[in-house]
Amino acid sequence: MKISKKIIDNLKKGGVDFYLSVPCKLLANMIDILENDKDVYYSAVPREEEGMGICAGAFLGNKFPCIMMQNTGIGNSVNAIVSLLQLYQMPVVFLISYRGTPGEPVGAQGGMAKITEDILQTLRIPLLHCTSENDLDKITTFSKHAKVVESPVAILCDFNLMKDDT
Amino acid sequence: MNRFDLLNKIQNILKDNLVICNIGLPSQELYKINDQPNFFYMLGSMGLSSSIGLGLSLSQNKHVISIDGDGSVLMNMNTLATIGNRAPSNYTLLIIDNGSYGSTGDQRTFTDENTSLKDVALGAGCKKVIECSGEETLNELSKAIEDKNNSYVIISKINSGNVKIDPIPLNPITIRDRFRKFIGIVKYL
Repeated sequence: MKISKKIIDNLKKGGVDFYLSVPCKLLANMIDILENDKDVYYSAVPREEEGMGICAGAFLGNKFPCIMMQNTGIGNSVNAIVSLLQLYQMPVVFLISYRGTPGEPVGAQGGMAKITEDILQTLRIPLLHCTSENDLDKITTFSKHAKVVESPVAILCDFNLMKDDT
Repeated sequence: MNRFDLLNKIQNILKDNLVICNIGLPSQELYKINDQPNFFYMLGSMGLSSSIGLGLSLSQNKHVISIDGDGSVLMNMNTLATIGNRAPSNYTLLIIDNGSYGSTGDQRTFTDENTSLKDVALGAGCKKVIECSGEETLNELSKAIEDKNNSYVIISKINSGNVKIDPIPLNPITIRDRFRKFIGIVKYL
């Protein structure tokens, strides 16, 4: 719970006040925290691409949105990222559980893991890769950076960083 | 009645609300009829008008009308479940259902065969789902906006057909900033 709490605290310090998620077991503690947080909006959504649209609307309405998802969700969202969030220069934080990184028990997750960073780099999305607890201290500044450059940004959280956060 | 006729008929109610308008001909026709700063024209991301409007209605208090099409809703049907569970009363989804992909050459959609978006929306948990003719749409839209306790999905059944029209000349940042200025967020314009 310590890691999850630190991530949400640092996002909130960065001004993020609107959260969506498509679940992942590595995000479960963060979802619990947000469901009990009266200061911010939180909802589950069925699909990441739709979440990108809801985040765009939230930005238009003066919220600073974050969508939490597995790295597989980036694959579901490429057109929405490019032709909505980037086209209109909308700041949104993607908080991504990086399935398929070392420690992952499910072999099939390896496929998207191999191309996740390439996809984000092809999309020219600023990237913060968190491999240790110390990296989480960068989340607040990195979130604010999204607003300064008016762009979606991505935070990748490795499997081993999240797996024991019970 | 086709889409252009319908947008003409409802333009007075649109100009008093926040409008998210679907990509392609719907936005181009709306722009030609009566461009307003409170109209957010989609230039990409087909399927997401409903979702963008939902996020906007959750984030501020003004009434939001998402103008969507049958083809676009078929592309993003999962969002009807999100609407059915989360949409606040300042949200109306207007689905202009002409049974065709108008912007790509009027190919038939599944709503012209077996699919009922009314049944889909009801099954997805939307409580107030109205299916009506193009002529009845203005009245149904007025009632939906006046109801401060419920969100609505209105499915307006009209004929296919388009008018010859040019692309929207506004760039995306202009659309974004004048829209947010109308809400009262952008001060620098």
